[in-house]
Amino acid sequence: MMVRVLCLILMCLAPAWAVAQNGPLRIEITEGVIEPLPVAIPDLVPEGTGTGDWGQRIARVVAEDLTGTGLFREIPSSAFISQVSSFAAPVQYADWKAINAQALVAGAVSVNGNQINVKFRLYDVFSGAELGDGLQLAGTTDGWRRIAHKIADVVYSRITGETGYFDSRVVFVSETGPKDDRRKRLAIMDYDGANVQYLTGSEAIVLAPRFSSSGDRVLYTSYETGFPRIYVLDVGSVQRRVLESQQGTMSFAPRFAPNGQTVVYSLTQGANTDIWAMNIASGQSQRLTSTPAIETAPSFSPDGGQIVFESDRSGTQQLYVMPAGGGEARRISFGEGRYGTPVWSPRGDLIAFTKQSKGRFHIGVMRTDGSEERLLTASFLDEGPTWSPNGRVIMFARETQGAAGRSTLYSVDITGRNLRPVRTPEGGSDPSWGPLQR
Amino acid sequence: MNTGQVISGIGHAGLIGWMLFGGSFQSEPLPFEVTEVSVISSDAFEALLPGGPTPDTVTDVALPVEPEVIPDPVETPVPDESVEVETPEPTPAPEPETVPEPPAPEPEPEVADDAPVQPAPQDQAVVAPEVSPNPVPRPSERVAPEPVAPPAPEAAPDEVQQDAVTESETGESQVEEQEATAPEEAATEIVTEAEEPSGAPTASLRPPARRPSPPVQTAEPESEAEAEPEPTQTAEPADTSEDVNDALREALGGAEQEIPQGPPLSAGEKDALRVAVSNCWNVGSLSSEALQTTVVVTVDMTQDGKPVVPTIRLASSSGGSQAAAQQAFEAARRAIIRCTRDGYDLPVEKYGQWKEIEMTFNPERMRIK
Repeated sequence: MMVRVLCLILMCLAPAWAVAQNGPLRIEITEGVIEPLPVAIPDLVPEGTGTGDWGQRIARVVAEDLTGTGLFREIPSSAFISQVSSFAAPVQYADWKAINAQALVAGAVSVNGNQINVKFRLYDVFSGAELGDGLQLAGTTDGWRRIAHKIADVVYSRITGETGYFDSRVVFVSETGPKDDRRKRLAIMDYDGANVQYLTGSEAIVLAPRFSSSGDRVLYTSYETGFPRIYVLDVGSVQRRVLESQQGTMSFAPRFAPNGQTVVYSLTQGANTDIWAMNIASGQSQRLTSTPAIETAPSFSPDGGQIVFESDRSGTQQLYVMPAGGGEARRISFGEGRYGTPVWSPRGDLIAFTKQSKGRFHIGVMRTDGSEERLLTASFLDEGPTWSPNGRVIMFARETQGAAGRSTLYSVDITGRNLRPVRTPEGGSDPSWGPLQR
Repeated sequence: MNTGQVISGIGHAGLIGWMLFGGSFQSEPLPFEVTEVSVISSDAFEALLPGGPTPDTVTDVALPVEPEVIPDPVETPVPDESVEVETPEPTPAPEPETVPEPPAPEPEPEVADDAPVQPAPQDQAVVAPEVSPNPVPRPSERVAPEPVAPPAPEAAPDEVQQDAVTESETGESQVEEQEATAPEEAATEIVTEAEEPSGAPTASLRPPARRPSPPVQTAEPESEAEAEPEPTQTAEPADTSEDVNDALREALGGAEQEIPQGPPLSAGEKDALRVAVSNCWNVGSLSSEALQTTVVVTVDMTQDGKPVVPTIRLASSSGGSQAAAQQAFEAARRAIIRCTRDGYDLPVEKYGQWKEIEMTFNPERMRIK
């Protein structure tokens, strides 16, 4: 009875409350859409003489950078209602809005000799306002692609809120020839596969190049002497030197610490492989693990405080995390299959890895505690993940099956979307993504 | 404890009520049982035998009669103590509970069979007038006991309808009830409807239809450019917003009295708005941190369902940095603006309810998609 009475009272009062309600209508949006952002990138307006087709070339690179992320969709120029005839002219928002362009990149280019000068603005069409301030970039015509990449980085950053990764380079192992006679050499390229340059010859097998956090040096393993040994190569001068190693041992899988002064690597003595750390300047080394198991592929956390590595101490190949100075390690991978080649994200929130399960290879990511494992790819052979500077994209090597199988580089977003090959003139493997260039 | 008490209370109340007013409902069941027990056995049945051209039907009726009288009076007193005293008076019959045990179960199926079958009533037609002229008045019997007060409290939830019934006391009572209740509010106006067009609820607010002019043809770019920037020529970004502002001022300021409040938006109307905004809320280009940020955005609306762009502002944010909140806000702003070329589908008569909207964009579900 009491309940009924209360219900009656509430029912009587409900209308009064509804009428008495003031303030705005409140709704909550919890479902959205995930689709590329339509962006218009008209050719840069030529200013002065001698600009040639620079405006078009730069605009194309900017468009390819943005659309290559999978987050943007370029509106073809044939759909434009109005053109950007002058950098100083007011934007006809209505025209761009009519073709559903949500962002507009408008710029101008001028060339003087081998000097090129580019300025641009980014507009939020539907808001009818400029996103950020205009920017002007100057350089040589040889570096025009870098200018385009920087423009794309700014656009990407202003729209997504994340730093870009277009003006960055990747060092990798370039591969040519059949599987039974494959020739490998170190190479460096722009993130999109352009401007490939070779750092070593193909006379010796080279493996696992790794950029330093500043991008000025590269560590790699070479079999020049018949034994795997670690080298440090200066990217600018292409000078190299071998790291000190103990006689009769094999060292491989090196990786820089974030401070650039320490290198962690694997050292095999007899049948045992452990992880060691070495100070590059002094050559002093320190043993970080000491178990009879095989432990390799160390990778520092961005703060340099921890190291993730692979080990078969539990009987199968799994991932472990230990303090940077060594000590007790905790296992973080517990899924089915074997885990290897872990790489800590530059953001510090995820660890990428290679997983082998049920005869297939996967590139995946997981939280640093091993939770929320997500497999991003699956193929006959995927391996060697490396993070983009902003931690949003992973590049890896994919090898096809058969005697004519070829290893090529691919990239994929950490959501698993936008899997696409990296256009390199030859095959590639073991990529290492460097930082944004300055 | 409460359940037991409630059951006990209901039982006692039902019993007392039945004892007090049960008599008024005796008319229905009584005839069936009484006819079978007392009438058929003695006079009428014998009278029928000689002239019974239809032995089949008679035998059917006769069969149930035999078990009726003999076992029943003995058995009935046993099950129900309170009913025992009344059972000899045929009263227990009206309630199905008491009926099933005694003779009731047997006669009931027979009655049911008889009803659809035509021949039976023909044979019993002689019997029927003797005992039961009642079958006909069944439906009206429940109305007949009106004067008795008790029925009213039992039917308390339908008091309103009963009032109308009492007024008319005719078979059309139900129709009259609803007619009487619904038009009450409008009755005062309807009474004056013919000659007094100036009724309180002016329909003058409705004329400005919700969206009569969304698809403006591009035929006259210059003249219509101000109203809608889509066409061509002299696009003035500031002008468009000012025009919208003017429209809002006109709606808010100049016609404050005309703003229809209406009832709150229904769940369906809110959902329609939510879906409309959701379809344009593109989080694909948001950073991971922005996808962790919930933003609350407020916006003023024109009466034709379009947002006033300059009034879109970030009210609050949570879960991310200032930069992430700004990114999330810009995505939300694009969502609000992008899908409103023709205006949101909102009821004009409730404009007062949605002239200001506060939207919370929570990307929690969109993070791992």
